[in-house]
Amino acid sequence: MGGAIIAEFRKFFTTRMWWGMAIGVFLSGAALAVVYALVVPGLGTGATGGTGGPGGPRFPGLDNPSMVTTVYTAGLSTAYLLTLTVGVMSIGSEYRHMTITSTFLATPKRVRVMVAKVVSLLGIGVFYGLVFLAGSVGVGGITIAIKGYSPLPDAGPITRALALSLLVLGLWSLIGLGAGILIPNQVAAILISVGAAWIVLPLIAVLLALVSWGKPIVPYLPSEATTAMVGQINTSSDVVPLSWWAGALVLVAYAAVLAGVGSLLTVRRDVT
Amino acid sequence: MTDNPERQGRVEVSKLTKKFGTLTAVDNLSFSVEPGRITGFLGPNGAGKTTTLRMLLGLVRPTSGSATIGGQSYSHLSAPQRVVGAALEATNFHPGRSGRDHLRVMADTAGVDTRRVDEMLELVGIPAAARQRAGSYSMGMRQRLALAGALLGDPSVLLLDEPANGLDPEGIRWLRMLLRHLSGQGKTILISSHMLAEVEQTVDDVVIIANGRLIRQGAITDLPTEHVATVRTSATAQLVAALTASGLSATEVDGSIQVVGRDLVRIGDIALRAGLPIYELRANENDLEKLFFELTGDEANRNTEGSP
Repeated sequence: MGGAIIAEFRKFFTTRMWWGMAIGVFLSGAALAVVYALVVPGLGTGATGGTGGPGGPRFPGLDNPSMVTTVYTAGLSTAYLLTLTVGVMSIGSEYRHMTITSTFLATPKRVRVMVAKVVSLLGIGVFYGLVFLAGSVGVGGITIAIKGYSPLPDAGPITRALALSLLVLGLWSLIGLGAGILIPNQVAAILISVGAAWIVLPLIAVLLALVSWGKPIVPYLPSEATTAMVGQINTSSDVVPLSWWAGALVLVAYAAVLAGVGSLLTVRRDVT
Repeated sequence: MTDNPERQGRVEVSKLTKKFGTLTAVDNLSFSVEPGRITGFLGPNGAGKTTTLRMLLGLVRPTSGSATIGGQSYSHLSAPQRVVGAALEATNFHPGRSGRDHLRVMADTAGVDTRRVDEMLELVGIPAAARQRAGSYSMGMRQRLALAGALLGDPSVLLLDEPANGLDPEGIRWLRMLLRHLSGQGKTILISSHMLAEVEQTVDDVVIIANGRLIRQGAITDLPTEHVATVRTSATAQLVAALTASGLSATEVDGSIQVVGRDLVRIGDIALRAGLPIYELRANENDLEKLFFELTGDEANRNTEGSP
């Protein structure tokens, strides 16, 4: 079992994809933190064309710990698209290049292969989480300090949000793992899963929020659960977000169902 | 390790059947492969060789029947890479990963160290190239890398699917010597091929299949070969008549005469008595190849549905 996990990590770090992704994760953390720190505090959503309208809810200033958390996690929804892709490729590239044959020859009990993939992806999620925080807290924190505010006004909730960011990136890679198995063509799997997470789900969230029966469903969408989990300020609608731990449980459930269904399929499928 | 029963590697395929939808790729196939011998697993493309190997390795689930190695199914082996080394298609590498790193990934689960990886790269003759990304490898290098991967855990059973594909004549000679050497150590070796000529000088035994069914199993020397001699003379029709009159079966083919049997002295004597000159008289060498086509080419054995 240990060997299979080490093998999964080695597979990941012996192609060039990992550092390309690392650059992307760092930049999404740093760039969006800077933009949020400079532009967003005190903004009213009505003024930016949001759904709040004139006199709607406004973002607080940088003296508010929730605003600082929002700055540090602003790039998370971009970064998790990248780890989602990492998850798709962890299984998709094995089928595309047929290295799955030597993987299953080395570890014929396929459940072990899938457990090794889950463990390694959670580890890789932590790795990219640290890269993300280096960007967002490093560059974002300097920006906040230059503007004359404390980069860490309230250590408790901010630290929790940052720690949970590490888990968020791992869980999204597991969602990708499941998607990569359910959609056998790797390129299609990446396009569909990133397209769904980036465009389709936010659109569904907006549409559901417009109807009375849809409103209670919105917080349970994976994107909304993620923002609730890290405690980002939500001004886009009058939907009540989940508490951080409920958000975490919902995201864990998505990851478990997708990775679980994918693993079941992988165990049963012939490798021809 | 040598007293581990899993390492006493007899391969046994018993009433194995695999259906893909309506196509029966492997049909009630039974044969065995003995340790210390090299067995050729032969059949035309689409005969079911690869599907059989994949069932033997637990990659494809049989519809019915069993395939075992040392009495165990592959998925029940506790350390599979130390029992069975397999090289299926030689294209199964990530193009962005170096050959050496590909082997190091395999070494992580085989429980062998990086030194063993480098030894195997040395053995198959690609120590320097293995540090480049596998996307740039030639077919011959891929074959050698796949073989290095199969040998990594020093297994007692080797299953190689078309290992000579893409090797140059020198590479094929090298492979033959290596397999001879390994078989001398008592390893069980099964190599598949769609060409008998390719493995004729390498194998001790043959298992011939066509359309998923067993055609023949046995020592290659036991194959019933129909010996044929070729004769050329100035008056072909007269010599055919003389040979036929002496009780030999002779037919004219493209200006020369094909005579059943390998009694060259008798053919020469008959020609002398008939007063005819002989320009060429030899026993044909490629009889096995002809036999192979006869065995696998019957209408009933031809795979008309294509390979899965």
